[in-house]
Amino acid sequence: MSPRILLLSLLLCLLPVSAQAFDLGDLQQRLAATPSLAGSFEQQRYLADLDSTLDSRGRFRFVRGERVVWQLEAPVEERIELTPEAITSGSGDQAPPGGEQVAQLFLQLLEGDWQALESRFSITLSGEAAQWTVNLIPREAALRERIERIILNGGERYLQRLEMQTPTGDRLHVRLFDQHTLAPDA
Amino acid sequence: MSHPGSRRLAWLWLVVLLACAVWLAVMLRQGVPADTDLTALLPADRQAPLAEQADRSLGRGFEDRFLLLLHSDDRRETTRALAERLQALETPGRLAGLDWRELDLADDDPHDWMGAWRYRLLTPAVQQAIDTDNGESLVAPALRRLFSPASRPDPVADPFALLDQWLATQPGSPIRAADGLLTLDADGERFSVLIGQLDGSPYSLPLQQALHETLTAFQQAHPDAELLRSGLVFHAAAGARQARHEISTIGAASLVGVLLLIGFVFRSPRVLLQLMLPLLAGSLFALTLTLGVFGRLHLLTLAFGASLIGIAIDYVLHLQCDRAIQGTAFRLRRLLPSLTLGLISSVVAYVAQALTPMPGLRQMAAFAAFGLIGAWLTVVLWLPRFRLRANPATARLAERWWRLSQPRRRLSPRVALIAAVLLIALCAWRLDSDDSLELLNPSPASLMQSEARVQRLLDRDTGSRYFLVRAADEQALLARLGELDTALDAAIADGLAIDYQSLADTVPTLAEQQRNLARVRTLYAVPLETLVARAGLPSTLPERARVALDESTPLTIAAWLETPLGQFQQRLWLGETPAGDVAATVVLQGERSAEVDARLTTLAETRDGVTYVDRVERIGLLLGELRRHTAGWVALAMALMSLGLAWRYRRRAWRVVAPPFGATLIVLSVFAIAGVPLNLFNQLGLLLVLGIGLDAGIFNVEHARRPSAWLAITLSTLTSLLAFGTLAFSATPALHYLGLTCLIGLASVWLLVPWVRPPSTDSHEERTHV
Repeated sequence: MSPRILLLSLLLCLLPVSAQAFDLGDLQQRLAATPSLAGSFEQQRYLADLDSTLDSRGRFRFVRGERVVWQLEAPVEERIELTPEAITSGSGDQAPPGGEQVAQLFLQLLEGDWQALESRFSITLSGEAAQWTVNLIPREAALRERIERIILNGGERYLQRLEMQTPTGDRLHVRLFDQHTLAPDA
Repeated sequence: MSHPGSRRLAWLWLVVLLACAVWLAVMLRQGVPADTDLTALLPADRQAPLAEQADRSLGRGFEDRFLLLLHSDDRRETTRALAERLQALETPGRLAGLDWRELDLADDDPHDWMGAWRYRLLTPAVQQAIDTDNGESLVAPALRRLFSPASRPDPVADPFALLDQWLATQPGSPIRAADGLLTLDADGERFSVLIGQLDGSPYSLPLQQALHETLTAFQQAHPDAELLRSGLVFHAAAGARQARHEISTIGAASLVGVLLLIGFVFRSPRVLLQLMLPLLAGSLFALTLTLGVFGRLHLLTLAFGASLIGIAIDYVLHLQCDRAIQGTAFRLRRLLPSLTLGLISSVVAYVAQALTPMPGLRQMAAFAAFGLIGAWLTVVLWLPRFRLRANPATARLAERWWRLSQPRRRLSPRVALIAAVLLIALCAWRLDSDDSLELLNPSPASLMQSEARVQRLLDRDTGSRYFLVRAADEQALLARLGELDTALDAAIADGLAIDYQSLADTVPTLAEQQRNLARVRTLYAVPLETLVARAGLPSTLPERARVALDESTPLTIAAWLETPLGQFQQRLWLGETPAGDVAATVVLQGERSAEVDARLTTLAETRDGVTYVDRVERIGLLLGELRRHTAGWVALAMALMSLGLAWRYRRRAWRVVAPPFGATLIVLSVFAIAGVPLNLFNQLGLLLVLGIGLDAGIFNVEHARRPSAWLAITLSTLTSLLAFGTLAFSATPALHYLGLTCLIGLASVWLLVPWVRPPSTDSHEERTHV
C-alpha cells in the first residue's frame, strides 16, 4: 500500500459516516446489480525478458456467475469461453494445463467475488463509488512467486481496468470500455 | 516320585525357562517386532519373484499415504478444521505432511523443472505436424495462445507451447483447485481432498491410534460431514481394532467358561493355577525360541500358535484327573506312554506344516511345536511335585459321568468303515474350495465401501492387473514398452475398454528423443520466424530460442522418476532384476471380463519379455496351492501316524484313529452339505481337531476302563470348544472359519470317543481298581 493511499484512507476515516460507508461489500453489490454486460477490451501483455508487448483487442460478453466470452478480433481471431469449470476455444485448441485455475481467477476478479479471493489474497479497497481501486496481494509465498499483485480500477457499475504484475516484471493489462448492460435473458 | 534324576531334570527345566525369560526380555527391550500385514504370511512366490516385487511396488503409493474425501455444507470451514487437527499430528513417527490447500500442489509447476528436457518430448500430433509441413500448421494455434487471457506465454523458452501440449497428454489427476482447497467434483457432489503422507509404517500401532482418534474426534465435532477414507493405514487399523475388540468379548467369554468348568470339576483354585502353569511355561518357551529363530513374529502366528498350544491342556487334564481320583496310588509311569504318544503325534503334524513353503505357517508350526514341548515338559517334570488335594467330589463326578455316558451299543469296525466310505463319497461329490483373496481381508464392509467409492470417484485403479516387461537394458526396455503401448493403443481403438499407464508414454527412447530434437530445430526455422513476425515480437527472439535447444539434455528414467510428476510413476519402475536385466510394469485399468483377459494374455504371449499378471488371480492361485500343499503334508503325516499306531495297537488301531479321522470327515461332510467351501483357515482348524482327537483316541484306548480318562477327555474337548469353537463368532473371516471347524470337529470327537471305546477284555492296560 503506497503512503498516498494510506494517507487517503486515514483521511477517509475522518469523514462523516455517510461518506466512508463505501466498502468491499458495497462494491460487490454495485457490480452485482449488472447481471450481464458486453463491451470491448484492449489487452497488453508486457514481456520483460523481451522488452516488448503483445497487444490484442476484441469484444467481450459477461454473464455473472456463468461465463465470460472473450472474442479476439486482432491480431488473430479466436473465441475463448471461460466458465468456473473450463476453458473452451472456438478453434478447438486444447486449454493449457492449469488453465482452469487461471479462468477461475479471471472470473472471480471480473465478478468481484471477494469471499473467494480472500483465502488467497489480502484485499484492500480505496477510493469511492465513482472511482475505486482494489489491490490484491497474494498471502502465500508460493503464489507470490507467480503473481506479485493485482490491481482493479473501476467506477460506478463497471470494472474498467485490470492489471496483473509478476515478480519477473511481466505485466498483463486489460482495459474494458464501451460497456453496456444486456437484457437479463440476453 | 522322588527320583534324584527326575529332580535334577526338573531343576534343569527351571534354569532353561529362566534363561528364556532373560533372553526374551533382552529381545523385547526395543519393542515387539510384530507384523500385522496378512500378506506377509504368503510365501515368496518361487516362480515369479519379479511379480512379487511388482505387486509390492504397485501397492506402495497407497501404503505410505492416505487420502480423505470430505463432503460438507460448510466446506471451507469444515475442511480447515479437519486439516488443523491432522496438521497437529505432523510430528516424527506420525505424519510427514498434509496437502489440502490448492497451493500445496502449485509448488510443482512442471515449467520450472522441465527446462532441460522439454525439446525432446513431443506429442504424436506435434510430431506429425512437423513431419508433414515442417510445422507451418502449428503457427496459428501458437499465435492464438500468445494472446489468450488464460495463458502464460513464454515466447523465448517455448514459443509453440510444446511443453503444455505434452503435459496435457500425461495422465492427469481429477483433483483440482476450488475455493482455495484441493477439490474433487464427482457424482454431482463437491468433495475436499486431503492427502496425508505417513512418517512411519502403516502398521505402526501408535500412528494408527493417533490418526483414528483425530478422525473420530473430528467426526464427533462435525456429525453432518461425510468423510471417505482410502489408504492401507485405515485397513490395518481396522484389523487391529477388531482383533482387540474380539479378544475382549469372545476371548473373555471363553475364558470365563473354562474357569467355571474347571472350578466345578476340581473344586480347587490350586488346580486352576496348575492348569495355567504349563500353558504359560509353554508360551514363554515358544515365544522366545520362535523370536530367536525367525527374528520377527507375525501377530497371526501369535494368535493361532497360542491356540494350538491349547492342545497342551490335554496333558494337564489327564494328569490331574488321574491324580485327583487315584490320590496316593497315582503313578506317572503308567500315564507316560500315552502322554508321550500324544505329544509325538501332534508335533509330527506341525513338523509337516513347517515343511510347507508358507513363511507364516512355518512360524506358526514352530511356535506350536515349541509350545507343546515346553508345556509337556512342565507337566511331566513339575506337576507331579506339586501338592494336589484330591477332592472326593471329583472322583464321584467321574464315576457318575462314566455310568451316565455309556453308550448302549458300540461301533463295529465294519459299520465305521461303511460310514467312512459314504462320507468320503459325499465330500468328493459336494465339497467346494474357496481361495479368494477376500479371506485375507479383515476390513469391515463399511471401510471397504468407503475405499471402493474413493477409488471410483478418483477414477483410479489399485494396479491389480499389469504387464510385466523386461529387457536387457534401459533403452531396449523403453523400446519394448513403446511397442507394447502401440499395440495397446491399436486394441483400444479396436474397442478394448481399458486404459493403461506406461513409462514409455513419458520417457521416449534416446533415439526418439534425438529425432524429436531434430523436429524442433525444423520448427524453429521458418515457422518460428513467421510466428514472431505475425505476433510483432522482436526479431532477435528466434536466435535466442535456438540457443536453448543446444542446451537440451536427454531425459533418462532415473531423472524422470526424481521429478515431482515422475515420483507418481516410481511404482511402475522395477529397475535392475537379480538376473541382470531391467524390468517395468504397464498398469491396466478399465473393463474386467474373461474376454478382456484373453485379449491381454494373447497380447503378452505374442511378445518377448512381456507377461500379463492378474494380481488378484495370482494370490488366489497361491492360496489354493498352499491349501493343497498343507492338505498333502498333513495327509502324509496322518498316514505315517496311522502306520505307527497300527504297529503299536495292531487290531485296535482303528479305535485310536476313529475320533480324529471321523471328526475330520464329519466336519468336511457338514461343510459339503451346508455349502461351506474349504479354505486354508478351516484346514488349520482341522489340524487342531486332529491333534485333540488323536490325544483323545490314544487315552481312550490306553486307559479304556478308567472314568478318570473319560473325564479328562470330556474336559479337554469342552475347554477347547470354549477356547476355539467360540471363534466361529468372529467377524474376521480367517478366525471365523477356524472356529467353525473346531466347533463341529471337537463336538464330533467327543461324541465318537464312547462309541469306539474298546470292550473291557480288550483293554491295553491291566485292569485297575478305581
